[in-house]
Amino acid sequence: MTGFRRVGDGVAARFVRPEAAIIRDLVEQVVELVEPSTEADRSGPDPEADELARMVGLGPDEDAELPDDPVLARLLPDAYRDDPDAASEFRRFTESGLRSGKVTAAMTLLETLPPGGGRIKLTPDQAEAWLRSLNDVRLALGTRLGVTDDFDALDEHTEVDDPRYAYVQVYQWLAYLQGSLVAALS
Amino acid sequence: MSVAPVELTRPETAEQAAIDEPWLTIVWNDPINLMDHVTYVFQRVFGYPKSKAEKLMLDVHQKGKAVVASGAREAMERNAETLHGYGLWATVSHDK
Repeated sequence: MTGFRRVGDGVAARFVRPEAAIIRDLVEQVVELVEPSTEADRSGPDPEADELARMVGLGPDEDAELPDDPVLARLLPDAYRDDPDAASEFRRFTESGLRSGKVTAAMTLLETLPPGGGRIKLTPDQAEAWLRSLNDVRLALGTRLGVTDDFDALDEHTEVDDPRYAYVQVYQWLAYLQGSLVAALS
Repeated sequence: MSVAPVELTRPETAEQAAIDEPWLTIVWNDPINLMDHVTYVFQRVFGYPKSKAEKLMLDVHQKGKAVVASGAREAMERNAETLHGYGLWATVSHDK
């Protein structure tokens, strides 16, 4: 594991197969979580109006609230803290675009990371998509693990037989990987 | 022959407009985002020099939040939307 380094105006890194498999699995989980709900999931009275709303980037009214799932709430946060009406209005206009932006970044990562691993070279745009997608994965994983400012405590108190142990190690590795990507881009 | 007017109406500058519309983009501290990532995002999104981006990042980290931009409400909402895309916890508020 060497992380990213700058190559020309892009970046490059090498991944062994298990590393590629872990990243792909986590990215796919985030996609499943943030992917806008499909037509089949919708039960609105007027599918055509729904379709139109989706085309112009407006989510249905009932979706305009902070998601209950803490991971989704972290990935799609409220933009107003003390004004529920403004927060809801903002969400109606932006959440669909935010979701599809996250899916697009994740898809770029999946397209540029072969399941078998190997050396990969990214253009600046692809590197930017990796940065967003890796960060989303860390936000999701960190929220599930209950990461606080005192990460060392979580690390020290998670024993090897704790089901979270492997994920704590992965979380740390992803932080290293993302840090190397930021450094290569800066 | 003419003399310079004693008093001029000051033209409204962009700065004045920002004062008239005191909406803020605020970024809140969170335990997951990397400090270097936050600095990078401030440079990338706002075009701030590294020193300013780092100072704002440290404000977020140490004080719990920082005002990263001010101006018209629509612009602040666009900022929040962009910052959410990078995973930062950003909100908009009116400077009262």
